[in-house]
Amino acid sequence: MSSNRVSRVQLLLVMILLVVLQFYVRPRLWDVRISPDFLLIAMMLFAMRSSPGLAALAGFAVGLIADTLTPARFGAGALAHTLVAYLASWGRAVFFADNMLVNAGFVAVGLWLRDFIVLMASGTDHRQMLTELIFYSPLQALTTAGFALLVLITFRSMFSVRLDA
Amino acid sequence: MISTSDRHYTRRDTVLFLTCLGLSLFGLFSPETWGHGVADTLRETVLSPLVWLQTRAEEGRTSRVRFRQVTSERDSTAYLSQFLPSLRAENERLRQLLRLSRRLNTGYVPAEVLHQPQAMDGRTLLLSAGSRQGVAVFNPVVAPEGLIGMVSSVSGKSSVAMSWAHPEFRVSAFTVSGNAFGVVAPSNEGRNGEGALEFRGVPYRDSVPLGTLVLSSGLGGVFPKGIPVGTVIGTVREEAGWERVYRLRPAANPGSAAHVLVLVGTPQGRDLAGGFPSDSLLEALRLDSIARLQRADSVVQAARAARAARRDSLQRADSVQAARAARAARRDSLQRASPIQGTSSGAAPVSQDSAQ
Repeated sequence: MSSNRVSRVQLLLVMILLVVLQFYVRPRLWDVRISPDFLLIAMMLFAMRSSPGLAALAGFAVGLIADTLTPARFGAGALAHTLVAYLASWGRAVFFADNMLVNAGFVAVGLWLRDFIVLMASGTDHRQMLTELIFYSPLQALTTAGFALLVLITFRSMFSVRLDA
Repeated sequence: MISTSDRHYTRRDTVLFLTCLGLSLFGLFSPETWGHGVADTLRETVLSPLVWLQTRAEEGRTSRVRFRQVTSERDSTAYLSQFLPSLRAENERLRQLLRLSRRLNTGYVPAEVLHQPQAMDGRTLLLSAGSRQGVAVFNPVVAPEGLIGMVSSVSGKSSVAMSWAHPEFRVSAFTVSGNAFGVVAPSNEGRNGEGALEFRGVPYRDSVPLGTLVLSSGLGGVFPKGIPVGTVIGTVREEAGWERVYRLRPAANPGSAAHVLVLVGTPQGRDLAGGFPSDSLLEALRLDSIARLQRADSVVQAARAARAARRDSLQRADSVQAARAARAARRDSLQRASPIQGTSSGAAPVSQDSAQ
């Protein structure tokens, strides 16, 4: 078995771990609105290491899960995650995002952008949208980026793989 | 220049992206029922493990919260249950006070007793009613069981009552049967640390049986007549053959009284005994009614005896008169028989008279 394949399997395990964290640990954490979005971390880390098409597909899948499990308007999550994942994949090429802090920054910006698109597409009223975008989204972006940094540090070797290579 | 493979790679990405974007927009702008249908289907099939996982997590979180809630509720219940007996007792006392206030035919002000953590608390009581509520100095203070004391000083919102345990407390009293009068004062010989009262100045000839209820007499103008003061439980001493001093068990305990009534504006001479129907009082009333019945019976019997005697005397008078008439008739017949002796014609009327 080649080392690249081993790394892909390990990466898949990390993704599964993030999914489990999202659905089993996150509900037990403090305020859900500012707790880390593990699914978005998985999507962003995947998107930044794969081609834009695959990233868009992964974003669409994650968005579909979000639309199915959250009461927001159906399709808004899919649209937001598709766009964010696609842009993250292109952004990695533009910014040469091999630095872990840049990766974490990508995650934070991606989360805020995701929230912005979801709120816009869902037709939220302006006051609530401002509150979400100014207060809750930045806080959640910070916690999510922090946890993404932790994941990158912990599983540094696994995230060195390029899935589109 | 971009190679063919790179162009293919880019085209494939673009196609995938546009497809995903198109599907997302389709979902966004499709009828709401379609979106709900797709979401429901996905939740029931592909995402069911994730939903199950999240449900378990929610259960775990809420069960922790529920456990904490149940624990705190149990603790609160245990804490509250400690006060249940005292609450019941207080409730019962308040009910008694309500009944008492309904029975009293005088004005009153309800007040709470603000007990102080001091040894002398039972002698003077701080009451939560003052001159603003109409309380004045020398107003009697009563509990449902009987006399507590009297108000000794008053401020705007509170007042101080001197209870019967105070050394200077005195109340003129009489037994419920009405045969002995005296003065009730606190005793220095309380048993087991409990306060007791003495019924002093009872004449030596007036013996008071044990268990007799002693009421305020209304003399002195402070306490109205008929408030239970205590029950006779023994004799303390006898003073040189002219006075007996009885020990009383107080009717009401100032140390445990939580709510009292301050009697205001009670007219002189009004009897409040009807407001305190204690056992002794009821017994006394019962005995009194029996005595009244017996007295009534004796009157009836006397009348009956008088009627019988009259009837006897009449009968006796009748028989005397008959005997007297018979004697007179015989005397007549003898007188008439002596002048016409030997003739048969005169014998017939005599025999007719005697027959009559």
